[in-house]
Amino acid sequence: MAFSLRRAWLGFWKNGLMSLAATATMVLVLVLMSGLIILVIGLHATLDYVQSEVQVVAYMRDAASQQDILALETSLQKMPQVSQVQFVSKAQARQDFLARHPGEADIINTLPDNPLPASLQINLSDPSNYVDVARYLNAQPAVDHVMNIQQTVDQLNSVISVLQAGGTAILIVVGLIVLFIVVNTIRLAVVARADEIEIMRLVGASDAFIRWPFIFEGAMVGLFGAAITIALLFLSQGPVTGFLADYFKVLPIEASTTVGPSIAMVVLGTGVGIGVLGSFLSVRSYLIR
Amino acid sequence: MIMVSPVTDETKPSQSRHDGEPDGPAPRRPIADRPTPTRHAADRSAADRALDDSVPTRIVLAMQGVTKAYPNGRMALRDVDLMVPEGDFVFLVGPSGAGKSTLIKLLIRDELPTKGLVLLDGRDLGRLKRRDVPKVRRRIGVVFQDFKLLPNKTVRDNVGFALEVTGTPRRVIVPAVDRVLRVVGLTGQADQLPGQLSGGEQQRTAIARALVHNPRLFIADEPTGNLDPVISWEIIQLLLRINELGVTVLMATHNAEVVTAVRKRVVALENGRIVRDEHGAAYHRED
Repeated sequence: MAFSLRRAWLGFWKNGLMSLAATATMVLVLVLMSGLIILVIGLHATLDYVQSEVQVVAYMRDAASQQDILALETSLQKMPQVSQVQFVSKAQARQDFLARHPGEADIINTLPDNPLPASLQINLSDPSNYVDVARYLNAQPAVDHVMNIQQTVDQLNSVISVLQAGGTAILIVVGLIVLFIVVNTIRLAVVARADEIEIMRLVGASDAFIRWPFIFEGAMVGLFGAAITIALLFLSQGPVTGFLADYFKVLPIEASTTVGPSIAMVVLGTGVGIGVLGSFLSVRSYLIR
Repeated sequence: MIMVSPVTDETKPSQSRHDGEPDGPAPRRPIADRPTPTRHAADRSAADRALDDSVPTRIVLAMQGVTKAYPNGRMALRDVDLMVPEGDFVFLVGPSGAGKSTLIKLLIRDELPTKGLVLLDGRDLGRLKRRDVPKVRRRIGVVFQDFKLLPNKTVRDNVGFALEVTGTPRRVIVPAVDRVLRVVGLTGQADQLPGQLSGGEQQRTAIARALVHNPRLFIADEPTGNLDPVISWEIIQLLLRINELGVTVLMATHNAEVVTAVRKRVVALENGRIVRDEHGAAYHRED
């Protein structure tokens, strides 16, 4: 065991260029992979966020009485499709509008009345129940009209499912390509020492004895590759998160806290796994017979 | 530097011992039961010869009806019978492509026979489990024309490598390596790299590596092919000396001069068949 480890260590540094190439390939692949994982996780987070925020907005007629609105609110709360109902009064709507568009305060102020309607903002437990709730609301006399957010949700949903399927497919393809590249790179290292393997076989070294140093060497490539990748991710995490937050404004992707450790584990596992598998496949052809 | 004595001193006693004199550096078994060198054996089967000796002789290597056809259809060996008793020294001769290399590959179980039996110390190499192959290889020492040394290891480490990769503890390796380096006369060069050695010294390093496991059978495939005549003689003397120490030696060679001068058993292959198997013979047929 100690012998195999020592030989793997020596072998890694002796074939410096080859090990460098294998490690660089590994890093490339792992960065690509973790990028994809982060993207997919981010999209999931976005979907969750959007879905949690999805509201059906029912605007009330100005003529509707307070009682009617309260009765409607209560009946909505009893519906299983509805998770939360919030009443926004005309005054509140005006304040919200002013808060969002401070430049337009003059326009609002010059109007004799508050043109903004009161509304019920409804959170759905499941966005696909939208149609039921909308139909119910449209039938109510107090309701002026119902705002259709569903289209937006549908579009986002389809984009996400396409990205998710595509991302998974890309991940699988990239994973296979990486395995292929690593197998070939390690095989070059093995070929470079074909003489040594031949001698080991001739003097009666067991298959395990011949294989283990190369397996360890592959594991080292994976380990170093993973370490470099994790370091890169760690360094780039601040700027990237900042950029994403800036770009998407509201998306609550907290890669730093929730994704970090698990991504690191996945990267480490994948790196070492591919390295070991690559070595195993590379040496195998020299042992069979 | 060279510890091997001149060839005449080496071969003469060994020749006389074929006639039954139990002298010399004590081998592990009685000498008397060896076949007499004058017997022409080509006309008799190997099995007969082995049974013929009344005193039980351990057979190191037995091949029975061995045929080897390669996937491309080439017949490398046809119906080969060969019996090598312990302590024998056998020259395997024949033109290129006659099947010498194939025969050696079968012995080290690098190839499997298409038909027939290859027995090493009574074990059928054809039916060996894969994980037992290394154990059998440890009982065989092999050297080749191209030495197959690791250029970045010293002589000592090249020899020790054979023990190291079979999981031998360090405290065993060091004295064992010292011992075989003494046998091949390389004690003084132990810390040099193969690149700093002459061809003969490199081959002696390879021989030391092949010996360090105390093999039952020592196989040399054209060991002098890359060496000049004087150095070749040194290598032959070394192999004879190893044989004196009780190791069975099988040497494939084209070196007619050496074979004829040494007068050992000669097995000649042609087109994959054994066409001659004589004791105390010359390289070419002498009728």
